[in-house]
Amino acid sequence: MSSIVDPIKEGLARGWKVLGGKHGPLPTSLDCDVVIVGSGAGAGITAELLAKAGLKIAIVEEGPLKSSSDFRQLEADAYAQLYQEGGGRKTADQAMPVLQGRCVGGSTTVNWAGAFRTPEETLNYWVDIYGLKECGAEAMKPWFEQVEARLNISEWLTDPNANNSVLRRGALKLGIKAPTIHRNVKGCWNLGSCGLGCPTNAKQSMLVTTIPAALDLGATLMVQTRADKLELKGNQIAGLLCQPVHADGSHAGPALRITAKHYVVAGGAINSPALMMRSGLPNPNDLLGRRTFLHPTVASSAVMPEPVQGWAGAPLAVFSDHFLRTQPIDGAIGYKLETAPVHPGFAMTNLGGMGRALADKARTFPHTSILIGLLRDGFHPEAGGGVVELKNDGSPVLDYPINGYLLDGARRAHLSMVEIQFAAGAKSVRPAHEQAEDYQSWHQAREAILALPYEPYITTIGSAHVMGGCAMAATPAQGVVQPDGQHWQVANLSVHDGSVFPTSIGANPQLTVYAQAARMATGLAKRLTEKEVRLDSPAVPASAASAA
Amino acid sequence: MKRRSLLKLGIASGVVLAVAGGSLALLKPGLADNKLSADSRQLMRAVALAVFDGLLPAEAAAREARLAAHLDQLDANIAGFPPHLRGELSQLLSLLTSSGGRLALMGLTSSWAAASVADVQASLQAMSLSSLGLKQQIYHALRDLSSLVFFSNAASWQLVGYPGPREIP
Repeated sequence: MSSIVDPIKEGLARGWKVLGGKHGPLPTSLDCDVVIVGSGAGAGITAELLAKAGLKIAIVEEGPLKSSSDFRQLEADAYAQLYQEGGGRKTADQAMPVLQGRCVGGSTTVNWAGAFRTPEETLNYWVDIYGLKECGAEAMKPWFEQVEARLNISEWLTDPNANNSVLRRGALKLGIKAPTIHRNVKGCWNLGSCGLGCPTNAKQSMLVTTIPAALDLGATLMVQTRADKLELKGNQIAGLLCQPVHADGSHAGPALRITAKHYVVAGGAINSPALMMRSGLPNPNDLLGRRTFLHPTVASSAVMPEPVQGWAGAPLAVFSDHFLRTQPIDGAIGYKLETAPVHPGFAMTNLGGMGRALADKARTFPHTSILIGLLRDGFHPEAGGGVVELKNDGSPVLDYPINGYLLDGARRAHLSMVEIQFAAGAKSVRPAHEQAEDYQSWHQAREAILALPYEPYITTIGSAHVMGGCAMAATPAQGVVQPDGQHWQVANLSVHDGSVFPTSIGANPQLTVYAQAARMATGLAKRLTEKEVRLDSPAVPASAASAA
Repeated sequence: MKRRSLLKLGIASGVVLAVAGGSLALLKPGLADNKLSADSRQLMRAVALAVFDGLLPAEAAAREARLAAHLDQLDANIAGFPPHLRGELSQLLSLLTSSGGRLALMGLTSSWAAASVADVQASLQAMSLSSLGLKQQIYHALRDLSSLVFFSNAASWQLVGYPGPREIP
């Protein structure tokens, strides 16, 4: 047994109201003040704030409740148990794998703990183009500060691991800034297993922060429960139909109907618009599910002379925004540079190859450094993102074509990463591209990359950042929801997750989701209860004193 | 309608039918009880021999044991997929285990059980560079699923010098 205390087990022992899966059957009907679909970044923040306002909350999560005592740092467990579609989610043409959490805490349970405020140029763009004056950098500052205090977000002071050192060393040599990342951790063991579920509860994910806070205030959490359909009556939602599911998503018992005064959809981009599409909600401007962004991400691996052991240590510690700023935001696509954890299943799969090439990669694996380049989509006419579609069984798929504009960015990002890796002393470098080879010098690599065909599939691209599809905007012509998250056409419905982003953001999205959800949920609490709530102060004393 | 449906199985089926002169109804499902059928197991075994050539034990009995464990682990992973994904995989394996589908889509003349490692490698290599989305989808479905399962398994860790997760006292 590990010495780590599991706060979820403790909470369950204290009598948290958790139903679904092994926690007990769901009722066939349930009434509450606010039902929240999802338990990730937007849902968690919303749940805590609304619970603090004394509202009776129900949280509906499709995935299972797994916690530190379940997190064995094993790829063989984690992808199947904690990720959407058993780790197998891909875009419609299967050219991009999409990593998204599906468990209590959502993607915050499995992300790599990089916490960035929304870049100012993104917020300025939202103000200018979408009329989101509430989202200006000055207006957002207090929301970032509040969330950062709640989730212990601060600069990572431990030395970066060897993989991140490659990025820093190479960038500095080329005169490119590579600062240290902020992380949402408390007492981090520097294990490097963030993507597999934090086994020490150091990562301040929704799983160990806001969801427990809401449950302690009496909220009900229903796990392995899929939100199937919102019932529309006039311009109001009259109920939410939910389906209990097994771990693989197949049906597990009779449906549940939840009624509430207000409905908050926060199931994450792709799943949130899909729920609204299945429900046939008004969509007069054909915006729902459109402009869904991915930060399409490319990679480059290097064999370093020194051991890298990129599975160990905080996976994200250093980044560079240099190439987001070498051209206008709506010009040739910019990219953020980061690192990826080098775990055997994840890395050996995504770096491609078979037979001798794969065996060579295996031999040099402990010396392998992986850099990633995240393309900032959504700011240029050629980067309009993807469209969520529904399959016959109602499950969503994102159709996101990879075009020449994005592929030009892939090539430039490869060039930047390869140059940095050679500057850091790499013996050989190979961008993740089916036709690339192990290049022995920057000169050789540059010539080869300029000559490589950049096409879908042969250029390895993936995503872990899904955003958009229910854009917020100051007018219904531009957005599905209003700037405060309220649906433009449906009275008692709000969206509080990354699907409200009108563009991608050019940074890992968790902190932007937290801050936007905090802003929206604080406003919603005020509208519903007249109470002022904050993440960094205790619950408002309620006349109904159930919140002990 | 969707411009690009998953795996474009409609088109794939058309190709296979044209080549094989058969009917889709005659194809056997690639998964039985959510596990690889006997034919699919042969297929995924041949893929593993090709993809992990040079990484499998040299000694025959040890190699067979490692392959058997790998195929069992594939079953365990597939069982965790959502039903729609299992359905798509079952259809894909169904096509590829039919002789017409194997020939039309992968250019392999001999059966999966008889195909040489070099033949399967050449076929996969050609698919990995194909300009046809369908062939790319098949390549990645077979290769990536195999790779994720193989390297996530502790039995493969010493091949990549990974000591396993740090212990938590």
